[in-house]
Amino acid sequence: MDDPQLTDDEVVSSVLGGRDRDFEILVRRYSQRIIHFVARMTEDGDEARAIAQDVFLKIFEHLPYYRRENNFSAFIFKIARNMTLNWLKRRKRTVFFSRLLGHELDRLPLRRDPPRLSPMEQGEREQALTRQLRRLPVEQRLALVLKVYLEFSYKQIAGVTGWSVPKIETLISRAKARLRKGIRLQESGNEPVVEAREK
Amino acid sequence: MNCRMTIRRLSAFQDKELAAPQVRQVELHLRECGACRAEWDALRDLEQRLLGLPPAAVDPFFSTRIMAGLRPRPAGKNRLLQAAAFAALFITVFLAGFFLQKSALDRQDAERLPAVTFTSVLLERQDLGLLTVQEDTLRQFTRKRP
Ligand SMILES: [Zn+2]
Repeated sequence: MDDPQLTDDEVVSSVLGGRDRDFEILVRRYSQRIIHFVARMTEDGDEARAIAQDVFLKIFEHLPYYRRENNFSAFIFKIARNMTLNWLKRRKRTVFFSRLLGHELDRLPLRRDPPRLSPMEQGEREQALTRQLRRLPVEQRLALVLKVYLEFSYKQIAGVTGWSVPKIETLISRAKARLRKGIRLQESGNEPVVEAREK
Repeated sequence: MNCRMTIRRLSAFQDKELAAPQVRQVELHLRECGACRAEWDALRDLEQRLLGLPPAAVDPFFSTRIMAGLRPRPAGKNRLLQAAAFAALFITVFLAGFFLQKSALDRQDAERLPAVTFTSVLLERQDLGLLTVQEDTLRQFTRKRP
């Protein structure tokens, strides 16, 4: 179905010319990366798939606004970024209100884990890392996810976020330092109880 | 390069974002400094852990579901038709406004200013539900009222 000869821009032209079915070529080209991106940003697999689906519907809707300069990747990741950040904001509000009401969401593991005596199993290590990722301030997480999981260069990240390269460098460096500190504390059983504040 | 500078550049070094001379400086420092090498190992360990997280599963019907959920977009020709329809509607409303004003003027006494008359006719017609007047259009007229 996918014709590797066609550039993204050529596929976009075809879709805008009335061949809606060709949009599937773009979905197939980018679905894996978009889902991966959203999943790493939200750390919630089910939600990630639902958000990724909405992202593609939004991309289709906004296709006429895309300026064809062979930078389709930046265009769609901008949409993915906006929709994911909106979802994170909504979740933050939900968590805030549920805390006000005196109960916490099950899906956010905010309580201190009991200190472990045995070395952590692989699954537990992954969970611990996921938890640390989720606690990163959202700008740091966005920059890190684009770098580590999407293998974007700082310049490409700038294209998606609109930030300067020095800012991106700082955000990623801080994210790594923060993750390392969090992991160290977690493994020594001195994990902080609450989520990190923004910035 | 000293330790402070090296540590500061280590993350960009890992991300392959440093220029060639800086890369050489960092590499040279790492070769001779145990403390910075420990930092470097810790960063590499973190990256391994991050990359070790299982990727999100993509179900095989993902693209099929997307394609089923698309709302058909009006094709190029249809869009032209839509634009023509909007233009026709606009002209109709404009002419209707013009004739409403004209008939109102005929009925009103000649002393009233045309702008006032036009506005009051618009307002009256809107009140009667005969005409929908944009708020800002109306404001432009009402501002000119004496
Ligand atoms: Zn050193």
